[in-house]
Amino acid sequence: MPLWFVRGLRRGVVTTRYPDRSEMSARDLPTPPAFRPGALTGEIADGLVAICPSRALTREGGTLIFDVGACTACGRCGEYAPGAVTASGEFELAAARRSGLVKRIGLGAEVTR
Amino acid sequence: MSTTTAGGGPVTTEAEAAAAEQLRSAVARQFGRSLHIRTLDTGSCAACEQEIRMLAAPHYDLHRLGLFFTPAPRHADLLLVTGPMLRAFAAAARKTYEAMPGPKLVVATGACALGGVYQPDAFSYGSADQVLPVDVWIPGCPPSPLALLHGLLVAVGRLADKVSGLSFVAGASS
Repeated sequence: MPLWFVRGLRRGVVTTRYPDRSEMSARDLPTPPAFRPGALTGEIADGLVAICPSRALTREGGTLIFDVGACTACGRCGEYAPGAVTASGEFELAAARRSGLVKRIGLGAEVTR
Repeated sequence: MSTTTAGGGPVTTEAEAAAAEQLRSAVARQFGRSLHIRTLDTGSCAACEQEIRMLAAPHYDLHRLGLFFTPAPRHADLLLVTGPMLRAFAAAARKTYEAMPGPKLVVATGACALGGVYQPDAFSYGSADQVLPVDVWIPGCPPSPLALLHGLLVAVGRLADKVSGLSFVAGASS
């Protein structure tokens, strides 16, 4: 049973205080991935690009381009490369510019090799 | 576009920028108190609509923030667009936007409307900004009610755009 529901029963108020207070139920949401550049090789990056069902990932040389706007937070990248990909935990993703959602992640392992 | 003042002289870019900023803050002040939202489904799977509907439920209760849904574009300040903008729907989308009184905002909602799911093809434009002037983009498939609330508050200038400063590198503070 979600905690907010139990708290709500006790207080008699179920309404969230967001945005004045942080919202605990946000922790249970699926969120877009965050990447560990040190563990990202070219091979893993190509695999991630191939596995992403919504084309949120593309590779440009030594850079993995992640379009947060295209991401559906399905979690397949995290299953494919658990060492290089983790959940970002971010849910406040609204952007005032479309380009603000496109992230460039350097392939760390590629650079050091 | 050439602009002239009442006196006939050209408007400097500084004056334009100052006027634009003044207008923006005036609009934000008004929209920050009461804002009416019209939702527009341009071919979504209805998952986004499910989440939008939850905003009116007691747990999220968007009315406490001065936000309301309206069925009429003529009463709406903000157009909440879902779906990949089907070509068959584009004319209706344009008419809806034109029917809204100014100043008005357009918020693209969900991965479809942001161009993540469908490529432009014979049936859809692939994203909402191909047809409408989008002001705020809310990612998610579907965006949770909290993500929608954040997006709406970003649109009216009550919260800051946070994601543009994030790197999505694990362990990085920003």
